[in-house]
Amino acid sequence: MTDVARSPELITVIVDGRPVQVPVGTLVWDACEKAGVFVPVYCAHKKLDPVAVCRMCLVEIGTLPKLQPACATVASDGMEVRTRTEKVREFREGNLEFLLLNHPLDCPVCDRGGECDLQDFALRYGPGRTRRAITTKVHFNKAVRLSDKIVLDQERCILCWRCTRYYDEVTGEKELVLQERGVHTVVAPFEGRPLQSMFQGNLPEVCPVGALTHAQYRFRARPWDLRRTPSVCPGCSYGCNLNIDTRETEVVRFASSDKPEVDDGWLCDRGRYGSGDLNRADRVRSPEVRLGGPGRSMAYSEAIEAAATALASVISEHGRERVAVLGTPLMTNEEAFVLQWLAREVIGTPHVDHQLLPWTDLSPAEFSLGIEEIEACDAILVVGEQAEATAPVLTLRLYKAERKSGRRVSRVPGDIEAGEAARRIAGASRVGVISHERDRGLAAQVAAIAVASGASVGRLTITVGVNGRGCKDLGLLPNYRPGYVATAEVGLHGRGILEGCQSGEIRALLAVGPNPAVEAGADLDRACAAVQLLIAITPVRDAFWRHAGVVLPGRTIAEKAGTVTSSEGRVQTVRIAVHPNIAVPSEVGLLAGLGACLGAARPAPTAPAAVLEEIRTAVPSYAATAGGLRAAWGKLR
Amino acid sequence: MFRELLGGLRATARAMASRPITIQYPEEQRPVPPRARGRHILHRYDNGLEKCIGCELCAGACPVGCIYVQAAANDPAHPVSPGERYAVRYEINLMRCIYCGYCTEACPTEAITMGPRLDLVDYKRERLIATKDDLLEAWSGFTTMSQGVAPGLGRPASQPTPMGAGSPHSGPAGRAPGLRPVIPAASGDPADTPPA
Ligand code: SF4
Ligand code: SF4
Ligand code: SF4
Ligand code: SF4
Ligand code: FES
Repeated sequence: MTDVARSPELITVIVDGRPVQVPVGTLVWDACEKAGVFVPVYCAHKKLDPVAVCRMCLVEIGTLPKLQPACATVASDGMEVRTRTEKVREFREGNLEFLLLNHPLDCPVCDRGGECDLQDFALRYGPGRTRRAITTKVHFNKAVRLSDKIVLDQERCILCWRCTRYYDEVTGEKELVLQERGVHTVVAPFEGRPLQSMFQGNLPEVCPVGALTHAQYRFRARPWDLRRTPSVCPGCSYGCNLNIDTRETEVVRFASSDKPEVDDGWLCDRGRYGSGDLNRADRVRSPEVRLGGPGRSMAYSEAIEAAATALASVISEHGRERVAVLGTPLMTNEEAFVLQWLAREVIGTPHVDHQLLPWTDLSPAEFSLGIEEIEACDAILVVGEQAEATAPVLTLRLYKAERKSGRRVSRVPGDIEAGEAARRIAGASRVGVISHERDRGLAAQVAAIAVASGASVGRLTITVGVNGRGCKDLGLLPNYRPGYVATAEVGLHGRGILEGCQSGEIRALLAVGPNPAVEAGADLDRACAAVQLLIAITPVRDAFWRHAGVVLPGRTIAEKAGTVTSSEGRVQTVRIAVHPNIAVPSEVGLLAGLGACLGAARPAPTAPAAVLEEIRTAVPSYAATAGGLRAAWGKLR
Repeated sequence: MFRELLGGLRATARAMASRPITIQYPEEQRPVPPRARGRHILHRYDNGLEKCIGCELCAGACPVGCIYVQAAANDPAHPVSPGERYAVRYEINLMRCIYCGYCTEACPTEAITMGPRLDLVDYKRERLIATKDDLLEAWSGFTTMSQGVAPGLGRPASQPTPMGAGSPHSGPAGRAPGLRPVIPAASGDPADTPPA
């Protein structure tokens, strides 16, 4: 035995003759993983508590006469674990024979085929033969619709309880139960009610086999058809990491990707099933110029020139301050930065925004709390309902803080009384205040109460749109330049720009679409129809496309490269998952080209990586964000 | 030198006297050995349901990646295949195929087999990407050699019993073959007219 130096908190476990040092309290399963020894598991899951019901992970430990579950046994100092003995091999074979006893073996029609733990382990450790005729299998219900999102095949279930435990431990909703006993046990919805949860889409990923599957992904592809691109969820600004799985030119599913600091491995259903939006049929595919006549498709360079000429004539006729620029929170940081450069440095207008509502009185305290730090707060106040409605995965983090760390989470209305707020945080030395950006003012008042109580207070503000935070950080605002440097002259905010379009105060509008936040809250069609010149960069046929004089095709978030900043300030990378079917450069290139045609003194870089370099120089807090770190405006005091 | 010249003349004379070994292809065709691996056939059950369940195992097994399958869920009232899943699109790029037969080995339902047709000629490349209509045994009186040939064109050669599942190949559906004629038909489609 090799002699390994010991430290008080570390113990040494010998796995298949290999000593590894692990902290006290480590499970044998994790110690094996650390030793590089694979142990097959079904019921064990990194994010769930151990139950040891499937018996797949049994290993030999020391001199114990019986095999022990690696997933639920805590390692002790000097423990000797053996995973490759004949006893273990024989047991695994027997266990798999049991699991396959009534398994329908319909891998060819099962959506999980190709990425299924039962297939993999049966191939690796299984007996490779059966002792019963296939006709003697006990059958259960197939293709049971648990909701419009999830399909359950009761025959394929291996009763690992992961799905029921997920509902107990991760969401707390308890919508799935185990019914009946023995061979008749099945997973079923509680009282037969359809699932209501916002987090059902995680079930098929939690299930180790093909018992729970996505209705949306049903029969659409095989794992070997898919190309996987790590990216960021476009659903909201919470910043969940995910994998975009594409087949040919189509996005077929979003799969979660575990980022413990942000999503902890989970996605909400709005985010996960939003993948269909990236395959919209009403795409804008070629540049079109409709100035004073019927629309003509042309090469993008000519369209940019036409746009620049038209814009220049508006500027010379009416002046620079009659031009407005409207971005969208769906833009990447690079696009937002180049767009504000185009507006301020080239066109020279103060009217720049990306949303409807004004964003004033910024304090760095609004972004001081990180998602991971929520679990370290003694008391957490969630102000208003919008925050959790906008970023649902936040709810899971709050539940985890409550359940695992015993934190106090209170949901409070915006108009909570000072006394009541003080009572809820009584005795807490660290307080987290979470709100939607629409409730910023109220959250500031609640935070002030907490500060008065002597606690250290951190605030998390959920912004609108996947890159709402980045657009603000990088100066797509009428009152702040990149890095929240106040502008000398405050321009019109989003709603003011649209009203200006109708009143004639704004003569030319350069708009990037789609902008769901603006479309929902304003009569975009009226404003777009009224303005003299509208130049639109948009991937879909939205209101901007309908009324634009010059249309340039944009890209969806799955088609572009760059970075987006989540609400907590984490700068994360999005990558090209599908190549757009358009012969046009990315938005950064289009905006830089427009700038060049308008006679920019200094050309803008056209590659997103080069723009990011400029951002890091221009905005100090972005300098330290490489590798998906948070842009810090203020730490938890 | 004289001897060599005579030898050559003798060979020529012998050939002139013998019967020609060429045949008038495609009007005449030779029988194909029973286990030849020619153009693929997708089979049906006797009740008319397609055997293919759209599992994509053939596509996964194919060493050149020339099979494209898109599956969909069966409508229980009008199923295309038994069970939950069927192939709504099934395409084989016959120009890229190396006729190895791995797809037939991978198929769990013996839905795909290799037929006896070895002629892979057309005036357009796109038409050698066989679609499901081309591959499926579809209409009554289907024979392996008539697959891919419009009715009345191309005489099927007399065949020994074809190999593979589902033989004799007779499908119940009285559907017109959605097939492209290999031999130019008077269809009016310029693609069907051989270059002058
Ligand atoms: S449905 Fe899946 S996760 Fe749930 S018990 Fe069965 S196998 Fe486990
Ligand atoms: S919380 Fe937001 S970022 Fe996370 S999965 Fe849902 S929509 Fe996407
Ligand atoms: S015969 Fe071989 S190359 Fe041709 S489709 Fe089948 S597997 Fe692919
Ligand atoms: S031909 Fe066979 S292997 Fe290919 S998709 Fe159909 S059933 Fe599956
Ligand atoms: S994984 Fe250990 S018993 Fe299931």
